[in-house]
Order: sequence, then C-alpha cells, then structure tokens
Amino acid sequence: MLNVSGLTKRFGGFTALEAVDFTLLPGEVHALLGENGAGKSTLINAICGTFPPSEGNVQLDGRSLLDLSPLRVREVGVAPVFQEFSLAPALSVLDNLFLGREATRGPFLRRGEMRREAEALLSRIGFSLPLDEKVSRLSRAQKQMVEIAKALRLSPKILILDEPTASLTDGEAEKLFEAVARLKAQGVGILYVSHRMAEIRRLSDRVTVLRGGRLIATVHTADVTDAELIEMMVGRPVDELFPEIHNSPGAPALRVSDLSTATGSIRAASIEARKGEVIGLAGLVGCGRSELCRAIFGLEDISSGEVVLGETPVAKPRPDRMIAAGICYFPGDRAAEGLALNRPARENVSMAGLRLRKLSRGGLLRAGAEPEVVAGPLDKLGLRPMMPERRAGAFSGGNQQKVMLARGLVDDFDVYLFDEPTVGIDVGAKTDVYRFIKQLAESGACVIVSTSELPELLHLSDRIYVMAGGAVVQEIARDEASETAILSHYFGE
Amino acid sequence: MSVTTDNPAPAGPSRLEGFLVNGGVVLVLLVLVVAVSAAVEPRFLNKLNLMNMGRNFAFLAIPALAQMLVMTTGGFDLSLGAVVASGSVVSALVMRSMGADLPEAGVAPVLAALAAALALGLAIGAFNGWLVARFNISAFMVTLATASAIVGVVLFQTQGIPIYGVSEGFIDLIGRGRIGPVPYVALIALALVALGIVMQRGTRFGRHIYAVGSDARAALLSGVPRAKVLIATYALAGALAGVTGFLMTARLGSGQGTIAETLAMQTIAAAVIGGVSLRGGVARAELVALAALFLTVMANAMNLMRIDSKFQTLVLGLVLLGALALERLVLREKTE
Amino acid sequence: MTDVMTRRSAPALADRLKPFSLPLGIVALLLVFALIEPRVISGANLRNIALQTSFLAIFAAAQCVVLLTRGFDLSLGVTVSLVSVGAGMAMTSAGVAAGLAAGCGIALAVGLFNGLLIGAIGINAFVATLGTSYVVMALASTLSGGFPVAPLPPAFNAIFAQGSLFGIRAAIWVALIVLLAIGLMLRFTTLGRRLYLVGASARAATAAGIRPAAVLIAAYAICGLLAGIGALLLTARTGSGEPNLGGNLTLESIAAAVVGGAKLTGGEGGISSALLGALFITVLSNGMNLVQVDGYIQQVFLGAIIVLSLILGRDGARR
Repeated sequence: MLNVSGLTKRFGGFTALEAVDFTLLPGEVHALLGENGAGKSTLINAICGTFPPSEGNVQLDGRSLLDLSPLRVREVGVAPVFQEFSLAPALSVLDNLFLGREATRGPFLRRGEMRREAEALLSRIGFSLPLDEKVSRLSRAQKQMVEIAKALRLSPKILILDEPTASLTDGEAEKLFEAVARLKAQGVGILYVSHRMAEIRRLSDRVTVLRGGRLIATVHTADVTDAELIEMMVGRPVDELFPEIHNSPGAPALRVSDLSTATGSIRAASIEARKGEVIGLAGLVGCGRSELCRAIFGLEDISSGEVVLGETPVAKPRPDRMIAAGICYFPGDRAAEGLALNRPARENVSMAGLRLRKLSRGGLLRAGAEPEVVAGPLDKLGLRPMMPERRAGAFSGGNQQKVMLARGLVDDFDVYLFDEPTVGIDVGAKTDVYRFIKQLAESGACVIVSTSELPELLHLSDRIYVMAGGAVVQEIARDEASETAILSHYFGE
Repeated sequence: MSVTTDNPAPAGPSRLEGFLVNGGVVLVLLVLVVAVSAAVEPRFLNKLNLMNMGRNFAFLAIPALAQMLVMTTGGFDLSLGAVVASGSVVSALVMRSMGADLPEAGVAPVLAALAAALALGLAIGAFNGWLVARFNISAFMVTLATASAIVGVVLFQTQGIPIYGVSEGFIDLIGRGRIGPVPYVALIALALVALGIVMQRGTRFGRHIYAVGSDARAALLSGVPRAKVLIATYALAGALAGVTGFLMTARLGSGQGTIAETLAMQTIAAAVIGGVSLRGGVARAELVALAALFLTVMANAMNLMRIDSKFQTLVLGLVLLGALALERLVLREKTE
Repeated sequence: MTDVMTRRSAPALADRLKPFSLPLGIVALLLVFALIEPRVISGANLRNIALQTSFLAIFAAAQCVVLLTRGFDLSLGVTVSLVSVGAGMAMTSAGVAAGLAAGCGIALAVGLFNGLLIGAIGINAFVATLGTSYVVMALASTLSGGFPVAPLPPAFNAIFAQGSLFGIRAAIWVALIVLLAIGLMLRFTTLGRRLYLVGASARAATAAGIRPAAVLIAAYAICGLLAGIGALLLTARTGSGEPNLGGNLTLESIAAAVVGGAKLTGGEGGISSALLGALFITVLSNGMNLVQVDGYIQQVFLGAIIVLSLILGRDGARR
C-alpha cells in the first residue's frame, strides 16, 4: 500500500536519511525502530509531506505523495500522530476533533451532529474524553488521546503513531492497543514508532531498524530476539555504549525531604544524593521527575518540604542563588529553556557564569578573556564544528546539547541535574554525554539524571528513584536494578 | 466523563477565578460607577444622558469588536481609528457628490455612502491581513504603517476641514433616530455584538479565528486556511470600522478626518479589559461589549461631574493597568 | 534543529550585502533628492540633517534597548512631554541644574514604573506602556495646565541648543555620547549581555540564573532615561516646556529603530539600527520637505517605507 523507495534526505551537508526503502501493507503493523537521530522522524516527515526528500519516492497505492502539501497528504489517507501535538489549546476537545473539517450548514456549525459523531468515534476506539473541556486544561495523556482520535476521525488508510504510549498509563495504553488491533482488522496500515520492546513484540508484524540514517534491516518480528533488535539499533552490544563509571560515594551533597510543589506536580518527595554518585530518576513523562529537578533548582514554586545542599538548608531556591551555591541544571527542553538559539554558542556557554571573576569585573565583561573561558569546556565536550561564534540554533541537536552542557564546566559545581540529557541527539553525541557524566561523577560531583531511557538508568546510575504521580514510589539499588524492576513501579504500586 | 491518569489535569478554575475570567470585575465596577453616579449626579439617569451614553457606547463597542476579532488571531489593528476617519470622510464625500442634501435625492446617496465606507474598510483591512499573512510580519508594525498612510491620504484630501453636504434625513434617521429611548446606533451596536457572539460560538469561521490565534501551526495542519482566515478577519475588522465611520458621520453631520485619533488605543483598552488575551485565541464578544459599556459610562459620569478630561485620561490608564495587573497577579498562568 | 541547517547551506550574496543596504539606501535617497533639489546636499542642509537625526537617534536608541528584550515603549512620546514640562517648571523656579536633574529624575521614574509593570508583574509590554502613557499624558497636561512653561533660563537654550564645540552642535555631541555609551554598554557589560539573552529567550536566561525581571526593569529605566535626555535637548531647542512636545515621537522612534533593522522578536541587533534608522527617516522627511511634498502625503511615504523595510528585513523568508 505504502511504498517508499530510495529515500534520501540531506540537510545542508548532513545526510539524515540515505537510500531507505520501506513498505507498509494493508492491515499490517510495521514498527520503526531506531535511536534518537537514526532518521525515524525524517522518514515520517518525508512520508507526511512536511519536507520533500532530496531523492527517492513515496507512493500510496501507486500514487506519488511527493508533490502534496502536508494537508493534502492527510486528506488522501495518511494520518500522522506526532509527539508534538497539532491541537489548538484554546478550543474545546470537540472543536479540536473537527478543526478544519467542521460539520456545517451554511456558515453555521452543527454542534449536535458533531457531538454525536465524536461520541460515536470515542466509543468506537474506547477512549473517554471530556468533549467540552478546553484542550489547554487536559493532561498530556488526554491530549495524546485527542490527537489520536482526531487522526482516526478521517478513517485513514495509514496511521502513523510516533511513540504513542510515551505518556499514557497502562490502562490507556491498553485501550490504544485495542484500537490499533481493531484498525488493523479493518485493513488500516499502521506505522508504529516505539522504543518499548514489549509493545513492538505484541503489536507489530514486521520491524524496520534504522541507524544513522541508513536502513539496517526489515525483519518479521517473530523471527528476531529483543537482543538482536537492540544490537541492530545501537550498532554494537549495548554494554559498549555506556562507559563504566568508577564511583565512590562520599559526603551527602543534596537532600530533599518531603518536597511538594504549589502546582501539585510533586507530592512529598524525598531523595538523597552523595558526592561522586550518579542518581537516576525514573518514571513516565509527567510523573514529576522533571519537576523535581526544576523545584530543586528554583524553577517551580515549593509549597512545603526542604532542600539541603551539603549541610546547608536552602530556604527558597532561586536559579541564580542555586548556581552560586553550586547546583547546575540542564533543562530537558533544550530549544525552549536550554539555549538562547539566536545568540552565539559562546554566549550560551558563558551565560550561567557571567558573575564569575574570570568573565566579568564590576559589571564589565572581560570580552578578551571570554573566548578562552568557553574554549576549554567546548573542546572537552567535542563541539563540532568548533565554531563558538556561530548561532547556537545552527548546530545539530547533539552539538546544541554540548553547548548547553559546556556551561557546567565554566564554573565548579557540586551537583549536576540532567533532565532528559540525550533527547533528540545521535548515538555519537550520546556517548559523549555519557562520558561527560562519567567524568563529573568520577571527579567527585553529584550527578542526578532524570530520563525516560531505561538503558541509561540501568547503565549509568548507582541508585534509582522511581517516581509516579508526583511521589517517589521506590528506591532501587544498582544490583537490584533491571528493566522489569523499574517498570513495575511506573504506575505507583 | 472523566479520565483517570497518573497525571491529573490541572484543577478547574476556582469560583473566584471563574468570576474574574467571566467579566465579574468589570460588571462590579460598572454597577459601582452607575450607583455612585446616580446617587451623586441626578442628571446621570436623565433620558437625554442615557441616550447620549447609548450612542457613545456604539461608537466604542463596534470598533472594539473589530479589535477583538484581530486580537483573537494574535494580532493588533492600530489602523482602526484611521479607517473610521476614512469611512467618515468617504461617506460624506459620496453623499455630497450625489447631492444628498437635496430633497429629491432619496435614500440612494445614503446607501451608496454606506457601501463606500464598507468597501473602503474591507479593502484596507484585507490589505493589512494580506501583509500580515503573506509576509509573516508583525501586525503591530504593519497596521501602524497603514494607519500613518491612511491618515495622510485622508488629511491630504480634506486638509483637516469637515466635509458637509450630508443628507439631513440621514442625520435625523441614523444620527438622531431612536426606538423609544434607545438610539438606532446603540441598537446597531447591540445587533453587531449579538452577531459577534453567534459568529464566535456557532460558525466555522469563528472556530477558525480562534484556532489561528491559539496555535497557528496546529490550525494549518488541521486544514484551517490560515492566510485566508487572517485576511478575512482583518477585512471584517476594517468593514466594522468603516461602518463606525459612516455612523459617526450621521451623528456629527459631517465627514471628519480628525475623529478617532486615539480610537485604536481605546479599542485595545476595551478589549483587554474585556478579557481578550494578547497572545490570541481567547476572546468573548459579550465581555468586550461589557468593557466598552463600562468605559463609556465611566467617561460620561466623569464628564457630568465636571472631572477634568486630563484626569479622565489618568483614570483610564489606571483602570487599564489595574485590570492587567489583576489578571497577572490573580490568574498568573502557570505556563508561559 | 534539522531545518536550521538548511539555512546556512547557501550564504547568498544578498545576505552578505544586507548590512550595507541601508547606508547605500540613505546615500541613494540623498542623491535622488539632490537631483530634484540641489539644496538637499548643501552644507547648511547636511548640518541640519545631522542635528535632526541626533534627536531621533536618541529616541530610537531608547526603543532599541527595549526592543532587544522583545518589548517596546508606547509611553515614550508622552514621557518626552512630561519631562519637558517638569524640567521647565523646575528650571524656572530653581535654575538650569535643577531642571536637568528633575527632567532626568522624571524620565527615570516613568521608565522604572514601566519596568516594574513589565518585569515584576509580568504585564505585556504593549498594553503596560499603553496604560502608562495615559497616566503620564494626564500628568503632563495637569502639571502644565495645557500651556507652555516659559520663559526658561536663557543659559539653557544657549548651552544645549545654540552651544557648539569644534563647530558641532551640543545636541549632536550628546547624541554621539549617548549612542556610544549604549553601544559600549550592550557590548561590554554583563547588563548588555543579559539584555540580549533575556530577549533571545527569557526562559533559557532564567534557567541560567539570570533574573529577567531585574534585566527588564533596567532596560525600561534606561529607555526612560534616554527619552528624558532627548526631551531636554528638544526643550532647549524650543525654548519652553511643551506639554505636547512628544507628539508623534513614540511611533517615529519605533519606526526608526525598525527601519534601521531592530527586530521585534528580540535578542538581535544593536545600536547602529537606531542611528541608521533615524538618519534614513530624517533624510527622507527632510528631502520630501525640500522638494515640497505635501506634509500629509509624507505620512503615506513613511508608512510605505516601514512596510517595505519590514518585508525586506524579515527572517520569515528563510524559515
């Protein structure tokens, strides 16, 4: 049904996708597997018409999709559900479901009809959503469900699901799987992107593995083991990806006790971290682990509880004070919160250290010294290309991440908080980030890593705290840690 | 219907927040101003004064609706005042050239004048919308520039002198006409507000305006024609401003190029006090009308009490800042 | 991150010429006017252009500072009026020095007020300064009773309007010093750096320990102070404290900054946009005056120029 052949996509000098073939049959669930940066989103985007490929062809039922706008591609039967939502937050769920395709009589909306149709649709796919609530008031999982329902409303031939369960609970995911099964039975082809082996195994008929923009293999799911799939994805046995960290837990560096935030995103969370230790924070997106990092750093209002840095309690964390006190925070959303994208890399590196004597005296910048101050950290992290005067936004994802991380080396910090440190970066950059974490921990700093990647948790951390619903539900020591041990606590039991 | 998740939706608005959001503050202030004025100044509830307020309300509420539409898409229209002035001048010019003050002219010149004011407003608005949509440039700067250009043309044409020769019948009917105690222009304004509500709540175009202002990318991916919606919105706003100019000509008995110099700013104030979000996507016509009514009544009360016009400006500024500060401090949004 | 990479694929010739397009445009404009009316490039008129530019450049510089932070100041014009009246009154009663101090103090106070509304409370800059402008307008007309404050001490006019050093008028000197100071501040101080960073991304700046509130307050205070300095120079020139001195200055200053290349999206640009934009607009209106274009029609040209420069200067084309 869907036939992709020889697809190549270059961005400037960078080849994101090289001669990839891909087919999707009616009534098939075809999983797309690959690390971040492997080319999965480029492939999906090329199919959806977001950007035209440099070479190759995309055909649906023999008809080329290449010259169609994203909107037309959707109209001919391709329904993508991205992680980034295409919902208007100020409108209600009902309005969003029908946005752009409202049922009307003349210029007027036929609300009754839309409501009936929406209810029928939701009961067909087994989702339960408040139709009159504004989308901005929904949880992430609910938004995800609206997005999926919206895509299904058009009875597509092909459904593309990009990590659809990343923010769903087990129960919700189960509903989604049932919906997928029903659609499959109806002959819809489903392109399913996920990291989770269990899902891939349960749902998919075939798996295509991408790595570094190249097609590694397309196999029948039943014919391969999980380990084989992972090795295809990573390109080497998993153990080689992660450096061995020789840690020596020392004095307490950070203690959080009974911390709750004003928004309720964290409830009475307590953790403890020592110098020279890597602590993993595990949990679903929205479980509160990102918010915990933010609250410690002073970016979320704390309603009760205590943050103790070394031996000193911090009354009211505030980013500038926490930096001065020795905490460095790397946000998970690099583009929105990590970097000033239209400023040079140099300024982004020195941003958190402007008060330091090596960068300024009495409010005057030491403009002459600055390039040298930032060169060391950037060199150590291996920025490529090494062009500190270039706009931060002009670098690839992995190198943007390095620009942000370089901040941590401009000053001496005792505690490093990483939120999703490897989101959207390629394998090479990932190993650089892991090496960075290793160096920090081995030089005696305390490192806290909040991540949704299980392998990172398992290979990097000495201890893991699992969070669910804003609370810390379990602490797991390194030798007890396993994928199942962590996952079993994701839903709070 | 509800969904249980490990990540509950943000709690619904508290009653206080709900009240504030739904124009409660403006309503309370309005009642307060009315009560105090009625107690202190007997002339306030005088029939003539009420009619006067009704007319003034119309001349603020109609362009405020226009401003609201544009702001719903996340923009601004600073050229509304200039369009009102050009609408006034054009309708007077058309009537004069058709000999509207002659008894035998009939209604044709008046209708022609209305059509001309509408068409001019529509054209200017569509041009604004096209610039904003096609070149993706700031609505603020675009409409600032077109405002400058329109005012230039209008004043060049009139040299700042009012244009007479407007039909007496027209002035009598539209400018002074009323049903019982309610002036026609106030009725027209109310009708337009009602239309606005229907459009926002019940039409596809209304949904699309919200969608474009709420998340332009999402709207585009859902098949909402962003450019068309923007152009239509600005055009509609321009048309409303053109009509306002036409009605003002009826009220003043002449076309004037210098009316409405500060109107654009006043409409923005009314919209903001009426709860329209500057980030787009949030607006309700009835609340904007309420805010326009409040501003009109307040200005009228202060006039009656012989409060200096400078002081009135001060009060307007403080009310605007107060409303904004209240919105930020009480409803401080958790997400930026 | 991927679409960003396409941008640098072809560093087009047009992009490289961009920085020179405005200076060239100014020269071209002068030459065109000179062809119609040779007096345009007479020494007297060029000196006149320099003088006119210096006032506008100061106000445009004020806007540039807040534009950098993604804001702007709609109360600039009325601040100029208020400073003119306030300084005039202080001057008539307590002398020139007191007048200067009062003028700067008032301007700073208005700026701080804006800064608090925008930085500390978090109100949108557009409506916050709109609200302030109503308040300030009322103060200016109340203080003055609507009449000019006159006569001012003759020394004020003699020094700040007629005075010159090395044959260059006081106003030009002041403008040069102001532009230089702001330029150096932006480039070589931590405050300058923070202005850029907060404008580029307030959230990223916050996460890096910069407090946007403080930076915004400083930005609007500077903006107010510059408006005050410009207002004092204008007052010296008119010789009286004028309650309507600000007139169209708000819009002209924003137009000058934007025509000069300042971006409404914040975090980019520098002080050169204030100078170039002010020069361009001054040359344009001076030339149109000399070739006797109707004053109202000049407004039409101004509007067209603003739209044109927005279209030419936008980033949208590359996105």
